[in-house]
Amino acid sequence: MSTAVASTLDSALSGKPLRAIAAFILVVNGLFPALWILLTSFKTEAELTQKPITWLPHAATLRNYIQAFSDQPLLTFLFNSFMVALLSTALTLLVSVLAAYALARLNLRFRGLIMSVIIAVSTFPLVTLLVPLFETMRALNLLNSWTALILPYTVLSLPVCTLVLTSFFEGIPRDLENAAMIDGCTRFGALFRVVVPLSAPGVFTAGILAFVNAWDEFLLALSFNSNPGLRTLPVGIQLYQGEFAFPWPVISAALVVGIVPVAILIVIFQERVVSGLTTGGVKG
Amino acid sequence: MTTTSTFKSEADRPLARRPWLSRWSDPDDTTLAVILLAPAAILLSVMIVYPVSRLIYTSFLDLSLTSGLPARFAGLANFRQMPDDPVFWQATWNTVLITLITVPGSLVVGFALALLANLPFQMKWPVRLSLLIPWALPLSFAGLIFGWFFHSEYGVVNDVLNRIGLPSVIWFNSPRLAFAAICLAIIWKASSFMAMIILAGLQTIPRSLYEAADVDGAGRVRRFFEITLPLLKPTIVVALIFRTITALQTFDIPYMMTGGGPGTETATLAMYIHQNTVSFLDLGYGSALAVVMFGLSMLVTALYLRMIRGSGAAS
Repeated sequence: MSTAVASTLDSALSGKPLRAIAAFILVVNGLFPALWILLTSFKTEAELTQKPITWLPHAATLRNYIQAFSDQPLLTFLFNSFMVALLSTALTLLVSVLAAYALARLNLRFRGLIMSVIIAVSTFPLVTLLVPLFETMRALNLLNSWTALILPYTVLSLPVCTLVLTSFFEGIPRDLENAAMIDGCTRFGALFRVVVPLSAPGVFTAGILAFVNAWDEFLLALSFNSNPGLRTLPVGIQLYQGEFAFPWPVISAALVVGIVPVAILIVIFQERVVSGLTTGGVKG
Repeated sequence: MTTTSTFKSEADRPLARRPWLSRWSDPDDTTLAVILLAPAAILLSVMIVYPVSRLIYTSFLDLSLTSGLPARFAGLANFRQMPDDPVFWQATWNTVLITLITVPGSLVVGFALALLANLPFQMKWPVRLSLLIPWALPLSFAGLIFGWFFHSEYGVVNDVLNRIGLPSVIWFNSPRLAFAAICLAIIWKASSFMAMIILAGLQTIPRSLYEAADVDGAGRVRRFFEITLPLLKPTIVVALIFRTITALQTFDIPYMMTGGGPGTETATLAMYIHQNTVSFLDLGYGSALAVVMFGLSMLVTALYLRMIRGSGAAS
């Protein structure tokens, strides 16, 4: 009896209709919020306050996008987010490439300890940095600057990137480096001319993770950079709401503009991102 | 110039004749390790070790930037203030509750999504993207979007309720409903990352194990509990501990959805730390609160390190 039920269940679960339902659930769950914002961004304010609410925009308009850029310095927010993310990614990669090479190639006596420290740092609560960094940045007159964000974001991504890069470096045969060194390369030469180019996919993966981490961060950006000229995108978005008004179509347009750059990265490099996330396997 | 050297310039000297250069460009393992690990070590000292010591020091000070008074040693005054502070209890309780609800919640939802995503689809990319996009969507954006979903007049959630014949709900006037909406948003955001990690784990389980179980006549349910779940345990433990640490720090989603309201009913510990530090400029009390947060996550980290040593997943 129970085996009969189980085998019916088995064939039902491997059938084509089931796969279609599964795909539908996955796609709706994953994409509905982003899709909803996209639809809202094409609606007029008048349509938005209709009842019952409409799902598809009746008279699609691009005015919200123009308004998103003209009501607030959206381009400045984007530029701040982009530069902070880019510079912190570059710094993270430089530091983690060196550390990962040591962890992958050298016979370190304290390797276990260093790995434990890296994992412990990856669980470090960024919130607790808020108070001392706020105090220090205020004293150094660094509030409202890119530096105030670049340094903490580098620390935020350092553990994940080091773990991803270590595992990539371990996959590169030592013979290649030895050959390069016999040909007259120094160890650093071998690192930057042989190992790094060969692990370009790994370096790239680590870079995307660091970039997305920085692009998404909110708490420190909110606390340190309140000057409209230095706000990153997640913090800048807040300026659209008035005291009583909440111009949803315009906010949605600004959100879409903020999602698109990262979405493009993700669409192009999806397999790499997944492999990086599961190797670093840690933050989310 | 040429009297001291037979070589035209320093660069023409053979490598072996330049001991200072060879020490830096061709160092032995220990020197190299020090050079390679130094940047990371310096960065971590400046950005973690120093701030944390500073944090602990400040937590013993009476340091309010609005008062204009210089910092004064206050002993345990900041910590003594906590038990009598109703907002502290509220925020801590909310944080713990969010952790207790959203960690298992995102595990269950994430597991379900992973099992669905593991079906043999012809096209892999739509499934992969529908797990990646929620991960890449900034938490603050997710908070805004879900706040809009639960809007009492024009939100899509109430629209769906109305369509199936139920009355609209004013979500953000009631502490419980607002809290439920926040937890739902967090679970949605966290479950896709959970699903990706679990999916990767599922794909490493050798097919032959399932085939052997088939021969033994084990059904799908038994195979799940006797093969899938035990083999995924190390992956799940790691994912759960990281999720726990992240949940303890919850800030973006409630900040964007409710701002902690109504009143302070949905405020979290991270929000209270932020408020005391940035709005009230009471760095002493803010630090003491952050020390509590630090203690909470150290506890979870210690647990994590013990568990991965046990299961050998660290290497």
